[in-house]
Amino acid sequence: MLKCTINGKEVEVKEGTSIIEAFREHSEDIAHYCWHPGLSVAGVCRLCMVEIEGNPRLQIACNTPVTDGMVVTNQSEMVKDAVKWGLDFHLINHPLDCPICDQAGECGLQDQYMKFGQYDSEMGQAKVKKKKVVDLGEKIVLDTERCILCSRCVRFTEEVSKTNELGIFNRGDHSEIGTYAGKPLNNDYAVNTVDICPVGALTSKDFRFRQRVWFLKDKPSVCTGCSTGCSVDVYYNKEGMWRVKPRHSEVNGYWMCDEGREIYKSTNVMTTDFVGERGSAKAVKKENRLTQAIHINAGDKNYKTATESLNSLKEKLDSYSKAALVVTGQYTSEEYDALLGFWKSQFGTDNVYHWANNEAQFNDFDGLLIRGDKNPNTKGLLQALEKHGITAKKDVTSLSDQDLVVVAGPENQWVYDDIHVIAKALASNKKVIWMSACHVDAAEQAGGHFHFIPTKTFAEKSGTFVNFDGREQSFEAVDLFVDQALSLTEAVALLKGESVELSETNKVISVSNEFVHERGQL
Amino acid sequence: MSVIRVQRPKMSRSWYLPGILSGMGLTFSTMIKNLFNQKKMATLNYPEEKYQYSARFKGNHVLTVKEDGDIRCTACMLCATACPADCITIVASEDEDPSVEKYPINYEIDMLRCVFCGYCEEACPVDAIRMGPEWQTPGENGDNFVYDIKHLAYRANLNDGKGVPSVVEDKDRHKLGI
Repeated sequence: MLKCTINGKEVEVKEGTSIIEAFREHSEDIAHYCWHPGLSVAGVCRLCMVEIEGNPRLQIACNTPVTDGMVVTNQSEMVKDAVKWGLDFHLINHPLDCPICDQAGECGLQDQYMKFGQYDSEMGQAKVKKKKVVDLGEKIVLDTERCILCSRCVRFTEEVSKTNELGIFNRGDHSEIGTYAGKPLNNDYAVNTVDICPVGALTSKDFRFRQRVWFLKDKPSVCTGCSTGCSVDVYYNKEGMWRVKPRHSEVNGYWMCDEGREIYKSTNVMTTDFVGERGSAKAVKKENRLTQAIHINAGDKNYKTATESLNSLKEKLDSYSKAALVVTGQYTSEEYDALLGFWKSQFGTDNVYHWANNEAQFNDFDGLLIRGDKNPNTKGLLQALEKHGITAKKDVTSLSDQDLVVVAGPENQWVYDDIHVIAKALASNKKVIWMSACHVDAAEQAGGHFHFIPTKTFAEKSGTFVNFDGREQSFEAVDLFVDQALSLTEAVALLKGESVELSETNKVISVSNEFVHERGQL
Repeated sequence: MSVIRVQRPKMSRSWYLPGILSGMGLTFSTMIKNLFNQKKMATLNYPEEKYQYSARFKGNHVLTVKEDGDIRCTACMLCATACPADCITIVASEDEDPSVEKYPINYEIDMLRCVFCGYCEEACPVDAIRMGPEWQTPGENGDNFVYDIKHLAYRANLNDGKGVPSVVEDKDRHKLGI
């Protein structure tokens, strides 16, 4: 361990720590753009200047290792002056786009300007104009004018995704970020470059212009996209959930895949049509989220709330002699425990099926984060089955002539390619209770007696996911996004005859108008 | 049962005629003044006569447009952020013109929530929203008071059908030193 003094505070750091890491370890503020803990050191922004005692010139903190007895400060007038002028150089060609820039509110330049700048620019010449709104493929839009050439994104594609799409082209004040010969930036981790961009040069098409960031709140959660279980922050407001960003943890480092960023879409009721009025029991999502009520059989207009439906089912439970349970790996361990415990006491352990969507690819791994098992909690399900002494069968399509089939269906339906096959196979049974967060078109098309019960998504319940290597990750509920959705635990409690208090959502549906379908088009 | 003795005021204080007479005197003197000097009368015959407020009056909002008729607003949502009544709803979208980039496809103000504080025009970085001269806008139900983008931007009904001068160009603003 090395002893050093940071801003007058005596601290100990490990050998090989750079000054900027020591600053961050001991929660001292230090300005920086190009340095990122997950990437190599570039030392190009010249903003993390510090004064080291005995050294006549200022040094950059990101590329200077701490030595024993070092006395460092970034509070002196000399440092503040250096940062101010460094910032002035960064802003020479930076356009005043803040009103239309998605980064505004979480922008490095804005933060540092308010802290160190607050000057009038002394630059006489006009700003250099560069290309705006450059389409970089399916996910990202580039604005070369806003770029301050910190090279974080270039280093990301070089070191992390190892796809090398991005580079810095031209020289001097004509330097700009771009892809070679206009190739798209479409790798599986591309949107991470948007996260690490300290300015608004790279923006995500999915989030572009949807919300201003200061309208959003964030809460930690766990990604449900695959069995890796990346730690994420979800951003939401009163209209719903808007984006997912990675949170630093041992599981995922600083990154997450682009597929995982889609998980918020199963939570929202935003983008879909409504049948009936929301607020009455007749509101049912047509496409995406199931809300409030269920309807029985495709096209049947006899609506019942989930609670009513489960109460009527409870009374008939004993009359079902042949019953089967189908579970997917998309629920929390606590829910599995409640559901399997109840099933074992009611119907025994024979007829439990594990619906594994793509079992052949379960062990696939791309070397970074993405795993083939697209369920967040397959491990948790297996553990719960073992705990209750249940040997689950795999062949769901063989289910027929049952009096009752209860399905704990998938939340992220798009990873279940076989959903049509399964729905069709289940349609031959007398009664199917399908619990799912999202509307199941496949089941409607299959006909038969499907009763839908809306369930909560990962954002609406607390629980535990067990990831691929057995790490238990607990998470808290973020907010309630639809009314009357149940977690499996609550559904089981209703079936047992216990009373469950359901709170109402405070979400508003934004005013609909005929222009909304134009959103997000470039 | 007990008896409460009420202290009545003396005759000189309970006599109401002096008060009435002094009140009538004021009324008649004002009437005579108004009869001979009608121009200085403090009241007007609303709604036939309307008061002309100053140009700085903060009435219902007007969204300004460019010379080509496009809306000036860039949907930065600073007005919605500054709004203490939370009455502004904006839906932004991508403009085909890269020099415009972002524009509102929906801009709604709930006039019944608005407190006419003027923070929105204060917050606007591009002079896209102004408080206009209009203030008497009756409606039959709540929906009539949610003004949409078309109503706010193109106010032909104002100013005796001549509309309000809501065209604002950058060069004019620069001339004025804004």
